[in-house]
Amino acid sequence: AAMQRFLGSLLCLCALRLPAGTGTAARGLDVASYRERVRAMFYHAYEHYLESAFPYDELRPLTCDGQDTWGSFSLTLIDALDTLLILGNVSEFQRVVNVLQEGVDFDIDVNASVFETNIRVVGGLLSAHLLSRKAGVEVEAGWPCSGPLLRMAEEAARKLLPAFQTPTGMPYGTVNLLHGVNPGETPVTCTAGIGTFIVEFATLSHLTGDPVFEDVARKALKALWKNRSDIGLVGNHIDVITAKWVAQDAGIGAGVDSYFEYLVKGAILLQDKELMSMFLEYNKAIKNYTKFDDWYLWVQMYKGTVSMPVFQSLEAYWPGLQSLIGDVDNAMRTFLNYYTVWKQFGGLPEFYNIPQGYTVDKREGYPLRPELIESAMYLYRATRDPTLLELGRDAVESIEKISKVDCGFATIKDLRDHRLDNRMESFFLAETVKYLYLLFDPDNFIHNDGSDFDVVVTPYGECVLSAGGYIFNTEAHPIDPAALHCCRKRREEQWEVEDLMREFYSRKKTKKFILKRAPDHGEGENAKDPEDASSEKAGEKRNSKKSSHSLLSCPSQSFNSKLAVLGQVFLDNT
Amino acid sequence: SCSRAKDVTMPAKLPVNFFSTRSPVIDLFRGQLDYADQLRQDSEIVLYFFYAPWCGQSIAAKEEIDHVASRLSDQVLFVAVNCWWNQGKCRKQKHFFYFPVIHLYHRSFGPIEYKGPMSAVYIEKFVRRVMTPLLYISSRSKLLDFLSNYEPGVVGFFEFNASPQPPGYLTFFTSALHSLKKDYLGTIRFGVVTDKRVAEEISLVHSGSVYLHRHANTSLIYPKDIMNFTAENICKWALENREMLIRWLRPHGGKSLLLNNELKKGPALLIFIPYNPLAEIHPLLDEITKVALEYHKCNKSQAAEPDLQHLGDSDSPAFDSSVPDAHLKFSETFPIAKYPCCNTVVLPQWHSISRTHNVCELCVNQTLGVKPNKVHVPHCNFLEIEAALDSFYLQEHTFFQVISNTIECSNFLSFYSPFSYYTACCRTVNRHFLSFISSEKTIFQTPKVAFSSHGKKDNTQFSIPHIEDRNCFIPDLNISSTNITGLSCRTNKTLNLYLLDSNLFWIYAERLGASRSTHLKEFAAIVDLKEEVHYVLDQNQSLVGPTLENFIKNFSVLYSPLKRHLVDDPSVHLHEEHVVTEVTTNTFHETVFLSAKNVLLFYYAQWCGFCASLNHIFIQLARLLPPDSFTVARIDVTRNDLPWEFMTDRLPTILFFPHQRKEQSVKFPEDFSVNLPNLLKFILHHSSLSSSEPCTKECLHKESVLQQGHISHLEREIQKLRSEISALHQAHDHLEAQLSEARREEQKLQQQKHTLEKQHKTLQLHSEQLQATYDQKNQELLEMAEKLQELADASENLLKENALLRILVASRGGKLQSKDEIKEPLQSEQTFSEDNDISPSTATAASEEKRIDNIDTIETTAEHNSGNRTE
Repeated sequence: AAMQRFLGSLLCLCALRLPAGTGTAARGLDVASYRERVRAMFYHAYEHYLESAFPYDELRPLTCDGQDTWGSFSLTLIDALDTLLILGNVSEFQRVVNVLQEGVDFDIDVNASVFETNIRVVGGLLSAHLLSRKAGVEVEAGWPCSGPLLRMAEEAARKLLPAFQTPTGMPYGTVNLLHGVNPGETPVTCTAGIGTFIVEFATLSHLTGDPVFEDVARKALKALWKNRSDIGLVGNHIDVITAKWVAQDAGIGAGVDSYFEYLVKGAILLQDKELMSMFLEYNKAIKNYTKFDDWYLWVQMYKGTVSMPVFQSLEAYWPGLQSLIGDVDNAMRTFLNYYTVWKQFGGLPEFYNIPQGYTVDKREGYPLRPELIESAMYLYRATRDPTLLELGRDAVESIEKISKVDCGFATIKDLRDHRLDNRMESFFLAETVKYLYLLFDPDNFIHNDGSDFDVVVTPYGECVLSAGGYIFNTEAHPIDPAALHCCRKRREEQWEVEDLMREFYSRKKTKKFILKRAPDHGEGENAKDPEDASSEKAGEKRNSKKSSHSLLSCPSQSFNSKLAVLGQVFLDNT
Repeated sequence: SCSRAKDVTMPAKLPVNFFSTRSPVIDLFRGQLDYADQLRQDSEIVLYFFYAPWCGQSIAAKEEIDHVASRLSDQVLFVAVNCWWNQGKCRKQKHFFYFPVIHLYHRSFGPIEYKGPMSAVYIEKFVRRVMTPLLYISSRSKLLDFLSNYEPGVVGFFEFNASPQPPGYLTFFTSALHSLKKDYLGTIRFGVVTDKRVAEEISLVHSGSVYLHRHANTSLIYPKDIMNFTAENICKWALENREMLIRWLRPHGGKSLLLNNELKKGPALLIFIPYNPLAEIHPLLDEITKVALEYHKCNKSQAAEPDLQHLGDSDSPAFDSSVPDAHLKFSETFPIAKYPCCNTVVLPQWHSISRTHNVCELCVNQTLGVKPNKVHVPHCNFLEIEAALDSFYLQEHTFFQVISNTIECSNFLSFYSPFSYYTACCRTVNRHFLSFISSEKTIFQTPKVAFSSHGKKDNTQFSIPHIEDRNCFIPDLNISSTNITGLSCRTNKTLNLYLLDSNLFWIYAERLGASRSTHLKEFAAIVDLKEEVHYVLDQNQSLVGPTLENFIKNFSVLYSPLKRHLVDDPSVHLHEEHVVTEVTTNTFHETVFLSAKNVLLFYYAQWCGFCASLNHIFIQLARLLPPDSFTVARIDVTRNDLPWEFMTDRLPTILFFPHQRKEQSVKFPEDFSVNLPNLLKFILHHSSLSSSEPCTKECLHKESVLQQGHISHLEREIQKLRSEISALHQAHDHLEAQLSEARREEQKLQQQKHTLEKQHKTLQLHSEQLQATYDQKNQELLEMAEKLQELADASENLLKENALLRILVASRGGKLQSKDEIKEPLQSEQTFSEDNDISPSTATAASEEKRIDNIDTIETTAEHNSGNRTE
């Protein structure tokens, strides 16, 4: 406790170290010109990848060649595919779709990370599949419930399924695409490697109709939930055979991050109260034990004592996640803390020691990660605060000035002296550039608020698609929630809707019937539906019923949010 | 090579010029801090600009610095230092958490960090303050000018007669510089008086005394006997005791609690005006501060204080000068204001429920007509207005059509006289925004305007339906009898007054509802954080003293006539048709309450994930429900305020307003999942209360309408089914094609299999043959080897025989010799026989070698053959 207090006082000092004079000069930030600069960045990297590195996974920008990193799937190409469409390059999107269909093979003797393959390959292919109609690809009649890219995604995902065959249901971290789990494979997996499947796998299940994917993803999520500590935290690594925590640091960053992210995104995508109630419980514990002065630290998962007073670059996704569930005030306050770190170095070091106000040894790199920019994009949607555009401006200037080389953009090996490393991770094109572009392009179709939509006739009926509300997976691949509804739910509901519509028009005859049913039966029956959807866990459900409001909702913004821009934050008295 | 490439790294690029070489700023882009320090000796005032080349803020500030430098380069040395490059001295010695950092030095005093806005005018102002931290006050009038300013002023009195510098002067000078360190906005101004008679005005007698001027409270003299006379102390004393009647708010952009702290003190009046810190005079600001001063002037007896009287004197010319200025600005936004003789006419509405009015400002246009005019003498004749009104009414139908929010003007001729022109400027306003008129009124209420209220009343009586008494629209202007002087102490709703520069912080005004279309960035709002309300001074009123006073007064009275301002989303276009109707603050009432349909209203926010993922459901619902009896609508509540009773604290919220019982709205229960069947059930349940009575004609008609709707719905369904069928056909065809292709491929594969099998057979045959030949050759080889063996044996026999022969020959030779010894002379015979003896042995050896050679070649060819076979 003493340690905590000590830290607390230090942190206060840190937060007071505020930058001066920002915000004002960038009033007239030229959004369009920055948008074009981001576009140029994309093509600089993308074209050099095609020229020098394809069909390898990644470009090595200093030596101007390629290497395989996460498998051998031309990963950068898969990852960058939907960014092409977001930039409006339809023809290249179409070309790449053809290249991938012919060139990518998952029947290879390669040991692949289950997590990375899922988020980059399965996620990338799924979003490309769902966007292909928008990109003018001629889709087959069963689209969006079938299609070549969907089949590829399914194939890739099936290669991962053997990893889930453990006593706990939590997957191994690595799997051989040809032979399944290698004998002697380590059973230690990081938390995120267990809980980051529901978005892709539930989408796959909803689109293809095969429930196996969603089932294994849910089982893994539940296993983690069951193994949380008494104070409601999860550690960093767990043994998937024995369910013993191997690394007991609890926080929101590396090793855990996308687990929390997927609880929220899964809840939104699937309208799932159970996932949301899990997240809200975690959120409470995180606030209680790890949050200090709008920073989030690392604590021991059983005792709650601070183990590492650091901020990690990967943690910067948190404000964006908070904004999705309506916690915009807190999100903005944390974001502003993180932004000061960027201003100090021109990037976010992997680890930043908060009390010392400097980088941590061996963790000074910045591999052009997207997380802070991602949060800026979400928050800009919510607040329209020009400060967020300034972060975008700073990111463009930094990346161009520091990491641009003749052959692409190089990872920053050390933020203290801006030495460069011979690597360009595939998430640079998939995420960093995408979020930057979206930040500067408020009219992009991805930001559609529901005023536009497409009607698609499928053999299974008529679907409303592309109505906005895209859910980004953790590699920034957007998933259209309406598509999930289109392939399975819609078919289930169709006849019920048909009956109800009949009643609309023949109200006089059946009016009695409705009136009778409504008070004693109707509500009860209605109430059943959500229960079915939110499935098994009775305990969780009771919890949700007790609370005064639906779990699947955001609080409205408070009055003072009108003035909470340009760095102004308000303390709530409540 | 692979592993080596992994270790390839590259050092950061070498720094290059940040400022252009033509810039007056000295750019030490290699971070030569030592050289920067040397440079400081050369100039009295130095500005250091510490930057990082990758930093966006540094890049943005560069231009501003360049601009300031180009204006001040003859007096100030501008030095830019790259404080990022890790080989540079600056990076090694300084540890900054952000960039750019601006430090100023006044000779050896410094660094003074500039923390204000990164805008050229503000920086220049600050640099100028550092250049001359003390203002020299030479005369009485200058002193009064100095003191009348709203910002606190500190005056030091120092007599420069005997010694070159009076004691304490340097300390005072330093304290002025010191204050700039703490108070980077430079709100406290420092002045120095050297003339004894001037000093007496503020009752300073002794040289070395320091005076802090205050308007509302008694002014203070620095207590030398209690506190040491040091620069820090003077500065601290001034900061602590200064009076803040009205404060500038300048958020620095980083995380800050500034607004939180200020607004939590109580209701605040935020006044946004464009401000140029370099301008000589600020008429509007003077006017506002005068109101502030009045507002805070609680103690009447203070008015007797001499300097306050002076203040009044010195202020009045300033105020006068501001008035025409205000008029000028006014005329920019409202072209009609240049006509001194006007009247407001509110046209009758089309129907009583309409929430809009067409309002016209009718003016006698003295500039257009040929009449010798009195433009500069605002004078208005009652008869003229009467005539104008008459002419106007005759043509008023032309003004009904006006439905724009902007003002449209037209000129028309007088009914009576061909020499009189009238100008009518009309626009449509919402009922609660009718204060358009009031803006006119404030102007014409100024005493000089002869358009008396008496005339107005007459007009009202004359044409009842047309002219509405202004009083019912703008009660806020009717209590002008209450005095603002000292109101802050008399009311229990005390306001704190704040100024914001609208060049920098207009975004706050926009978020409080300032219209985005105005060119004039003036805006005032009262924000009450505790009550969660804010009131806005109508933007159509120009921001001048009297309007501000009225605004404050209206807030302060017991039953305040001010209405909570509801911010409306301007980006929603009214005429855009969507399947789901987009409702805004302004259209809420009309869409929800006035429409004759059942309305399902979806409260959402764009950022809320749970709302956005429901979009498709509402679109489907809207497409499904009969559009002539149902409206599916939605409202973005982060951009549109609603009256309290319609606010919601969670999103999404779904409300249903049944037709004919709009006031009995029902909320979709929160624990139900939002999907199409549930929504339909919900609507069905709540919209089905009507007509269980026996059918009348009307009911029959309704029924037929309903069935008509049903028919069209079914038709739509059929259409859908048709397209579904066609899609199915397509899919079928597609599958068929795929199937046939698959069959074809299968066939092909079968064929390939056959051919492959054949090939396999032939290959097998071939390999058997090869095996046979191999065996055969092997056999031959063995035979050959046997033969060779035989040959070798034979040759060995031969050799043996040879040796025997030799022995035989030798023995014969011996025998012959013994015979010859007997018969012939001995010597010669012996040598001859020896020669004979050698030659045959060599011959046999040679022949043997030849034979071996032969064998060798045979063996190698055999090897070769077998090698071939294995290959």
